[in-house]
Amino acid sequence: MRLRIRFSKMGKVRFVGHRDVARIVERALRRCGVPITYSEGFSPRVRMSFGLALPTCYESEAEYLDVPLSPDSIVDGQIACIGWGQGKLHNEQQMQIALSEALPTGFDVVALTVEPKGGGSLQETVVTCGWKFDILGAVAREVEDAIERALAGSEIETERKKKNELVRENIRYGVYDLRMDGESERGPIVIAELSAKPRVIRPSELVDVLAPGAEMGIARRTHQWIEHEGQWQEPLTPSKSPQLKEYS
Amino acid sequence: MTSLWPRLEPLLPRVEKPARYIGCEDGACTDIYKPDATSWLLTYPDTYEIGLPNQGLQILYELLNERPDAFAERSYAPWTDMEAQMRSNGLPLFSVDTHRPAEEFDILAFNLSAELVYTNVLNCIDLAGLAVRASQRGDADPLIGAGGHCAYNPEPLTDFIDFFVMGDGEEVIAEITTTVGEWRKSGKPPGSRENVLRALTQIAGVYVPSMYEATYDGTKLVGVQPKHPDVPVSVQKRTVADLADWPYPRNQLVPLTEVVHDRLNVEIFRGCTRGCRFCQAGMITRPVRERPASQVREMVSKGLERTGYDEVSLTSLSTADFSNIEEVVTGTIDEPGTCGRVSVSLPSLRVDAFTVGVAAQVSRARRTGLTFAPEAGSWRMRQIINKLVTEEDLYEAVRSAYSQGWHRMKLYFLTGLPSEMDEDTLAIADLAENCVAIGQEYTKKASVTVSLGGFVPKPHTPFQWFGQNESAELRRKVELLRERLRRNKRVHLKWHAPEASTAEGITSRGDRRVGRVIEHVWRHGGTFQEWSEHFDLTLWEEAMRASELDIEWYVHRHRDENEVLPWDHIHAGLHKDFLWQDWQDALAGFGLEDCRWTPCYDCGACTEYGIEHVVASPVPPNGGSQGTGQDLAIGHVVPVDLRPRAEVGGT
Ligand code: SF4
Repeated sequence: MRLRIRFSKMGKVRFVGHRDVARIVERALRRCGVPITYSEGFSPRVRMSFGLALPTCYESEAEYLDVPLSPDSIVDGQIACIGWGQGKLHNEQQMQIALSEALPTGFDVVALTVEPKGGGSLQETVVTCGWKFDILGAVAREVEDAIERALAGSEIETERKKKNELVRENIRYGVYDLRMDGESERGPIVIAELSAKPRVIRPSELVDVLAPGAEMGIARRTHQWIEHEGQWQEPLTPSKSPQLKEYS
Repeated sequence: MTSLWPRLEPLLPRVEKPARYIGCEDGACTDIYKPDATSWLLTYPDTYEIGLPNQGLQILYELLNERPDAFAERSYAPWTDMEAQMRSNGLPLFSVDTHRPAEEFDILAFNLSAELVYTNVLNCIDLAGLAVRASQRGDADPLIGAGGHCAYNPEPLTDFIDFFVMGDGEEVIAEITTTVGEWRKSGKPPGSRENVLRALTQIAGVYVPSMYEATYDGTKLVGVQPKHPDVPVSVQKRTVADLADWPYPRNQLVPLTEVVHDRLNVEIFRGCTRGCRFCQAGMITRPVRERPASQVREMVSKGLERTGYDEVSLTSLSTADFSNIEEVVTGTIDEPGTCGRVSVSLPSLRVDAFTVGVAAQVSRARRTGLTFAPEAGSWRMRQIINKLVTEEDLYEAVRSAYSQGWHRMKLYFLTGLPSEMDEDTLAIADLAENCVAIGQEYTKKASVTVSLGGFVPKPHTPFQWFGQNESAELRRKVELLRERLRRNKRVHLKWHAPEASTAEGITSRGDRRVGRVIEHVWRHGGTFQEWSEHFDLTLWEEAMRASELDIEWYVHRHRDENEVLPWDHIHAGLHKDFLWQDWQDALAGFGLEDCRWTPCYDCGACTEYGIEHVVASPVPPNGGSQGTGQDLAIGHVVPVDLRPRAEVGGT
């Protein structure tokens, strides 16, 4: 069995890098007594696998994590804690609360299930990601026009740095949804659904298309979609809304 | 209260490692704002990664925040990319807890753990929007304080710092809070700054340099005297008598981004009386004060449970000397909460106290890196520096480690020690090779890393009179050893840039005049000088020339018994004649045993302050005298002379 966890990352902690998040989560798992397992070898590691890495400086309502549990850790359908949680039996909801509390402010577990292992890894199965971001100081009307033009055509040409080289690419194939959703005090808010295959397209790549020369404000991942039996769905739907700190 | 966060946030995506600036650590105090309390900004003048784990800073942070009349936040030196962003956007130095500007605090307190950070101190004061020179700051400006080991020679920083604190900070911060609190309540009217500084001189352990005057006779320092009759002639350090009264930090900060020593750190004792003559920490932190083993165990358990760390470091100046070390290590590893997955790291290991028992316990969990510090290659040299561990001690410790599954270890050595000859330097290679040979009995992979540092004499040590080797000479010795070890693939040699030792030498034994040098280096862009990519000796040489000061005179010259030293008015308890005698004994090759297990020499550290060792075990670990089992009083057969530097030099 494994724990599948969906968590959010909001506010100041958006500046924490992906590898640091792994260390933070690992400490929280230990504090809660989650019956984690370790890799073999000279320096054993806690077994866990994250979904798609979130770029540093991005917020998220939809980060995913799978934690394999040791075989004897489910007792009467409940999670038998170990270590600092020794003696505790937690159902999913209790574990969700405990983990949320053990994580630093800004991280919040919004869904948690115990499920059988199997299926492809999160990293392999995610097909698209939903994003919400604002563009600093851009003019709403102009952004709206740019979106219209982009969606009408067959080309959205972007530039990005790859190993210090500028790579030009048409990413129209990967733009599933693109629209404006009001304005924050920093600028127009854009909602986008962008493909994660063959590579993850980042919202920052769109900024130059939508408002040439402008800078991105705060970007937030809102969804990660996987394909399941021909249908797109989220690996877990939130059982509670994350402590959303709305753009302010 | 102002938060700079809205102005800081847009800058963060532009810098490397933005998590350095967000705070948010578990254990951080963010709802502590008490409008009427004395506010401290505890500032570590190096990067977040280096500064965050600092135990001294964390202890004071907690103690101050527990008080109703004080609160504390933290700040760290912004890295150069962030500094550029801050300067071009007019953003001042800020606290990471609530992102308040430094200027809004009553006190900016710096932790001085190394001399090469001094230029960063100036940079932080400047970034705070304050005049770097104390004499140019306004009445209502924050007071700038400094403490930590380097404060024991405060003179090079006297132009910039309003007050220094000598010794343990646990008790004295309360007194400072009260005095500064009154100033705060008075509204800091014109003229009040002088008064609060004068009042601070009345607190034991506090040194207010502007209340003292240095007089010279030519280049020679004649003395540093108080300007007013009520200002004490000498400043005595503060020492907490019993560590058991101070189980801090209770809530060690858990950073969100990786830092050095990223683990639970529990201080198991303070002070060390092994008496290594080069070691300033050992001299100024006497006597030994052990924490009760039961308290250590409790701090470890609670700490691991609270933080989720799977590694704990038992910190002290010589961890294997702790009376109950094996018991504490065993207890920690057997703690049910850790599921046998905790690793225990023991920094600063004496080889004569590292037994196979300790090695076996430590290796039951994940093995951590092992570092031994024989400090010198030959027994003759180790007698001179009073690091009384024999070759056999080292080999036994190394054997314990390899036999318990370690593959590699680090050996720490100094070069440029008094009366050192090339054969002493080369003996380092022999030791290292012999260690590898022992390791190969256990594993084919056995290897040893030799880390070589250039010796910089420090104030308040018996070697404070010694003329430091020139950097060219240090480099020659490094090369000598490098050449000797060139073909040995199992011994890796690492060394610190000898040029940095020269700058460290200028600042470590400098007097007030060196302040000009520090300011010059800072004004010419010399920050982060302890980072090799930023260190630049030419900056220091230029600064010395511009200040008309002589590097030879400050750094490489031997001092004599009667010379007035710039820190003579600062007291760590140690009698100057004790240190001088120990210096003479060093030159004669006489060893001195550890006073924690033998009668007192009256060095002054206890006798001056009416305190004593707090040690659970009446005998040294591993038995015997210092563990060497040797009669130490005989000394070396041929007394060595301190040879004039001209003869030593290869330059
Ligand atoms: S006063 Fe005596 S017992 Fe105390 S540290 Fe000095 S020599 Fe040791």
